[in-house]
Formats: sequence, C-alpha cells, structure tokens
Amino acid sequence: MVNLNGKKLSIISTLSLIGSSILIGVSLLFPWWELFLYAPQYPEGLDIIVYTNKLRGKLDIINTLNHYIGMSDFSEKSFPELSYLIYLIAGLAILTLIVAILRKKSFLYMLIGIFVIGGIIGVFDLYHWLHTFGTDLDPKAPLRIKPFVPPVIGKNRFANFTTYSYLGKGAYLIIVAFLLTLIPLWKDRKQ
Amino acid sequence: MKKKLIPIISGLVFGLVVAVIIFADISPGSKTKTAASNSTTTTSNGDAEKVYVPLGKKDDYYLMASGGHSGQLFVYGVPSMRLIRTVPIFSPDSATGYGYDAASKKMLGGYTWGDFHHPALSETNGDYDGKYLFATDVANSRAAVMDLKTFTTKDIIKVPNTSGPHCAAFVTPNTEYLFLPTRFATPLGQKYASLDNYSKDYYGVMSALTFDKKNEKLNIAYQVALPPWSYDLSDAGKKSSDGWGVITTYNTEEATTTMEINASQADRDYIVLFNWKELAQEVKDGKYTNVDGQKMIFPEKENQGIYLVPVAKSPHGVDVTPDGKYFIASGKLAPAMTVFSFEKAFKAIKDKDFSGERNGIPVLNYKSVMEREVNPENALGPLHTQFDNKGFAYTTMFISSEIVKWNYKTGEVVDRVPVQYSPGHAAAAEGDTASPDGHWLVSLNKLAKDNFLSVGPSHPETMQLIDLDGPKMRVIDTVPANPEPHYAQMIKADKIHTINVYPEDKNNKDAVYKTTDTRIVRNGNTVDVYGIAMRSRFVFDSKAKRPDTIEVNQGDHVRIHLTNIDRDEDITHGFAINNYDLNMEVQPGETKTLDFVADKAGTFPLYCTNFCSALHQEMNGYFLVKPNN
Repeated sequence: MVNLNGKKLSIISTLSLIGSSILIGVSLLFPWWELFLYAPQYPEGLDIIVYTNKLRGKLDIINTLNHYIGMSDFSEKSFPELSYLIYLIAGLAILTLIVAILRKKSFLYMLIGIFVIGGIIGVFDLYHWLHTFGTDLDPKAPLRIKPFVPPVIGKNRFANFTTYSYLGKGAYLIIVAFLLTLIPLWKDRKQ
Repeated sequence: MKKKLIPIISGLVFGLVVAVIIFADISPGSKTKTAASNSTTTTSNGDAEKVYVPLGKKDDYYLMASGGHSGQLFVYGVPSMRLIRTVPIFSPDSATGYGYDAASKKMLGGYTWGDFHHPALSETNGDYDGKYLFATDVANSRAAVMDLKTFTTKDIIKVPNTSGPHCAAFVTPNTEYLFLPTRFATPLGQKYASLDNYSKDYYGVMSALTFDKKNEKLNIAYQVALPPWSYDLSDAGKKSSDGWGVITTYNTEEATTTMEINASQADRDYIVLFNWKELAQEVKDGKYTNVDGQKMIFPEKENQGIYLVPVAKSPHGVDVTPDGKYFIASGKLAPAMTVFSFEKAFKAIKDKDFSGERNGIPVLNYKSVMEREVNPENALGPLHTQFDNKGFAYTTMFISSEIVKWNYKTGEVVDRVPVQYSPGHAAAAEGDTASPDGHWLVSLNKLAKDNFLSVGPSHPETMQLIDLDGPKMRVIDTVPANPEPHYAQMIKADKIHTINVYPEDKNNKDAVYKTTDTRIVRNGNTVDVYGIAMRSRFVFDSKAKRPDTIEVNQGDHVRIHLTNIDRDEDITHGFAINNYDLNMEVQPGETKTLDFVADKAGTFPLYCTNFCSALHQEMNGYFLVKPNN
C-alpha cells in the first residue's frame, strides 16, 4: 500500500513499536523497583522487591524492625497502586500495539506523551511513598530518628542501616520500550 | 694485707655456701617439666593454620560427643575443635527451657539426669545420612532420638527389663534397628531377687528398638534375655556381614561383688555374635515369651542366631572393619587386639564347630574364628578402634596413653603417638562407617591433669585432634571438654541440613502467628493463653488494656502457649515467670507451652530471658494471681 499522505509510519517503526509493546508486557513479570538494606546484624541483607502488583522480600522482618522507629507497616494493602497498576501497564502495552498497527504519527505523539507523563507520575508516586514512610514516623516510637527520604535510586544511611535503591529489570524494560517508541520519531522524521 | 683478705674471702665463701644450701633448688624434681610438656608432641606453625577457621569459614566436620553424666550432647566443629552448642537430651536445661515446657517435661519423664554414653548417627547403606542421632542413658535405661534439622530431642523411650544400656546405641546399616545391650544384669522387671540366685534369676537384657520416622517415635521391637553378664561395646556388621551384630561381654564369671577382682578371673570372656535378621524372624514366628508386654527371646529356649566367640579377658571395644569382613576386639586388661573373621565365624557356625555352650548358647572355637592377634610392644589397655580410608585401624591405649595406628589386614603396627592422658574412645572422620574419610582423629582423653589453666581439683576432660594426613600421626590441638564425652562420631558437615526458622504449622492448635489472633481463654479452672513473642514485647491478648499481662485466680490450671513470630534467623525469645521457677525458650516460628498450676497468689513479673533486641530489657509484663477468698 502506498502511503499517499506521507503520514503512515515505516515498517521498521511499526516493528519497533511492536517490540516496545512486547517489552511492556514482559516487564510485568519482573520487579520494577528494589530496595536492599544492610546492617551489621544483617550482612546477608534484607530486601523489598516491588512488582507492579505485589511486594516480595523479607517484609515481615523489615516491618518488625521498622516499628522501633515508628515507621508504618509495609504490606500490599498499604499501596493501592498495586491493585490497578498492572492493568494500566497492560493497557499501555495494548495501546502501543494499536499505534503500531494504525501506524499514525499523531497517535505516536500521543503515545510518547502518555509515556512521559506516566513516567513522571510514576517516579513522583514512588518518591511520595518514600517520603511518607520516611517522614511520617510515629512520635511514640522507642527510637526517635531524624525523618529521612531514601532516594529513588542510590544509597542512603539511617540508624544502623545502609540502603541501596535500584530500578528493577521491569523498569529497565520499560525504559527500553520507551526508547523503542522514539525510533519512529527519528526514522520517519522526513515524512 | 694478706691477713685481712683471709677473713673476707672465707666470709664470702661461707655466705655463698649458705646461700646455695638455702635458696638453690638442687633436688632432682627441679628438672621435671610439667608432664604434658614431656610429650614427644611437636608443634609447628602449619599445625596452627590447619585448625584455624576464620570468621566467614566453617568447620568441615561436626563432632557429636556424648556428654556422659551431664546427660547432654556436645557439638564440636572439626578441625577448629570449637564447642558450638550443648544440646540437652536426658537432663533438664534451664537455658533452653528443656524439661520446663510441657512437651519436653513429659518426654523427660520426671528424671533429673541421665548418663549419655554413646551417640549413634542414623545410617543409610552403612554411612551416616545426617538425619537423626540416637542416644542411650545408662543411668535410667532410656533411649532418645534427636532430629538433626533442629538439633532437638524428639522422643525418649524408657526401656523396661534392662538396667544401664551402656554399649549402645548402635544402629544397623540402614537404621533398621537400634540395639541396646546392657551393662548391668538385673531380674526381669527389676524385681527383687537375692544376689545368691544371680545366675538363675538375673539377665542381661538386650533391646532392639525401631524408629518410626514419620511420627518421630521410638518403639521396642523385641528383647533378648542374655545371660547375666555385663555387656560392653558393640557394633553392627556391614556389607558381607550385614544382618549380624557383635557385643563384647565381661563378668562371664557371674560375680556379684567386688567385680574389679571377681570379674577379672577367667582368661577368656566372650563376644556375643548374633544375627538380628534371624531374631526378627523368630519374633515374627511367635517364638518369644511375653514379659510385661515385651516380646522376650530366651536364647536357651529359642536357640537360634546367637553365638559366643571366646576373647581375651574383659574386652572393651569391638569394632567392625569398614569392609565388613572382620571385627576387632580390644583386650582392656590384655595387651593385644584380636582380629576375628566374620567369614570364618560363618563357616564355624555352619560346621557346628563349637567348643561347648554357655546358658544354651553355642561357643565357637577361638582358633576357628580368630584371624590374628596384634600385640604392639609395651602397648597396654586397648579400648576402642576407629578406621581411615586407607585400610588402617587406630586403637586407643588407655593404660599406655597412646594411639596405635596399624594395618588390620596384615597386623603391622605403623605408627604410635602419645596422648595426654589415657584415651577412652577415639572418633575418626566417619571412622565407624562403611566408608571412613581419614584426615582427622579425635582422641577422647579421660585425664587432663596439667593440660589447662587450673580450676581447682575438678578437671575438664581433654580432646586432642590428630592429623592423619601425613605419614606420621600428629597431635595438633588439645582442647578441654566438660564431663564427660565417652564416645563421639564425626560427620561431614555437608550431610546435615538444618533449618533456621520453624515453618508455620497450620495444624498446631496452640500456635498463633498474628498478634490479632492472640487471646486468653478461660474454661472452668483452666486458662489457656495463646500468645506471641516478638521484638520487643509479649502479646497475650491484643484487645486487652494491657496486652502483656496475664491475670488468673489462685489454683487455676494455666497453659501458656507462646509462639515466636519473629521469623528471623537467630531471634530467640525466652519466657520466664519471676519467682515461679519457670523458663523456656521459643525459637523463631516455634510454639511451646508452659503448663502449670498457679498455686502461689501474688504479683509475678514475666520477662524475656534470651537477649533479643535493643529493647530486650523492656520485654516484660506481669503474671497476676488473685488470691482465693
């Protein structure tokens, strides 16, 4: 089919978008964000592993320790996002696939827009929770420490713990998926 | 001038002579070094490196040493020889609460001590399988089983008709049976009978125990009413001799007093050689007598599968070689080890090559069964033999205080090393199995004397680590041990798979795993507390005004079920009630019960006894007992 109005995306761009869609889908199988905590008594480390729909890791132990500083309990119930995020991401994968099939550049701009806005909201949301947990400490806690906010990525120290925050495999897949949506922008720039 | 010098010089000489006489120690004793430093043991830096296990590394072997009359098991690491843990088996232990909580209290059966002589690791195909460890109690005729996943005692059985199962436990190659021969002869049921009727009324009953793995319970399969002799050490046949067992016996004189003299008169005592498969068949065929509910085989009636092999007098150890072809008896009072051949014994049995009988048990001809006598020059008091992977035997010499290395196939003595002092048993790496490892031998010495800093008249025992890798044995470490390891077994560490946290047990009605499920339930005069321990609080009733308080009435029957919900490695909680003489430990995920009558009215603080956290000191509450009327 000849692209008369010159607004259809090229085959490569379409494949790139299909790839992006698959990666988004696959990302749901992997953790998106991970926090590791080390202390002299925990040389093996404690971890919080965040998937789009569940939490894994040694949460019970972390919660037991957290009550000393008055931090609220981590559980899947404390994060409403975990009940719907997986559907939003799955929706994004389908949307990307639709854009790939429709091959319309305007839709591509829209998709990239959603990616960017979604990404910003996501990072902000994560920061919001880190801030809430790190600063909204029970004033009656036995151990009073200065409120703190662990970084989204990087190292932090509080009490006897050193924490390391990382993006999980899922988040990296999403970044690659996002880059794949940018390929059509460059590939089809003259059209 | 000269005249003046004479009195000066003579004065100096006189003074010197007086000083020498008064202060100088010229007695021969001054040249005596400490006895231990007289040993020929040499040390080098390489030895220190061999036993040094730095933080982050672990020992290669577990050494499971019986704790003798402490009733406990001592768990050591080899080669570091560090004591890792003491596990209570036959005696209560306030630190762990063993004998205080309901389950272990019931298991101990009211006994306050035990005399744990011989550990026996469970075996598969004649090799340690790292699953269970069996123990016997000479003091109160009990046998126990410990689970190696948790290193806790799972069951204790009181064995009737027998008094002092010393030489056991020994397991058969696939842990089919655990045999308990007995040191003391008594009348059946330990009833009264005059010692004048010793030969007629007394028996040395051996028991065959089975272990029900699924329910972790010990059972008595059958018993054998052996003659009223003292049975000492024992071992199970393996490979070609699988199905057979050997036991040394002394006091075949049937002396009833001053045994030291009277039981040492005969030139020969016996090894009891028996076929446990045949005995099991006899029981199956109904050829037994019911004695107070036990299936008792009387050899004089059911004369099958039991034989006597004459042996140098008053033997101690009898050890089956790894290939299963020979059994080696140690003379105790004789200077020699005697190697007997199973094959020759089987032939003698087949040919009915008997020299006579005792109590209806055929006696085999010594010459027909004996393979060779090994008599190392000036060695005295052989007690017990272990093996390595190269065909060598290692025999402890109690009286000449040494270990003798020899080849059991040729009788050649290869090496000897002094130990400090008087070894009883030795434990080589997997040294009593069908496939010993070599590398290490631990000599369990009965006397420490001057080996360690003195703590007064009571001395520790001594364990010495001997390196077997070189051409010569080398004693490379000497460590103290609490009284008193009699025997130990050394098992490769990677065979044991422990757990750190008890898994949630949905079927345990006493367990609660959530704070919100805690509650105190009263039913008449019985109060059940379903509580939890966590860092750093107790919760007995989460809805109560004070969740960590238990209030009962005087005379109530109280059961405190406590679950440690800190399911985190090494976070142990203790639970004690002040002035109520109660304490126990709950390991991560574990549930235990204190079961008692609140007979004392008053106010009793309760607290965590095992340091658990920074706020351990705050982990307490109250047990309030309202007085009657």
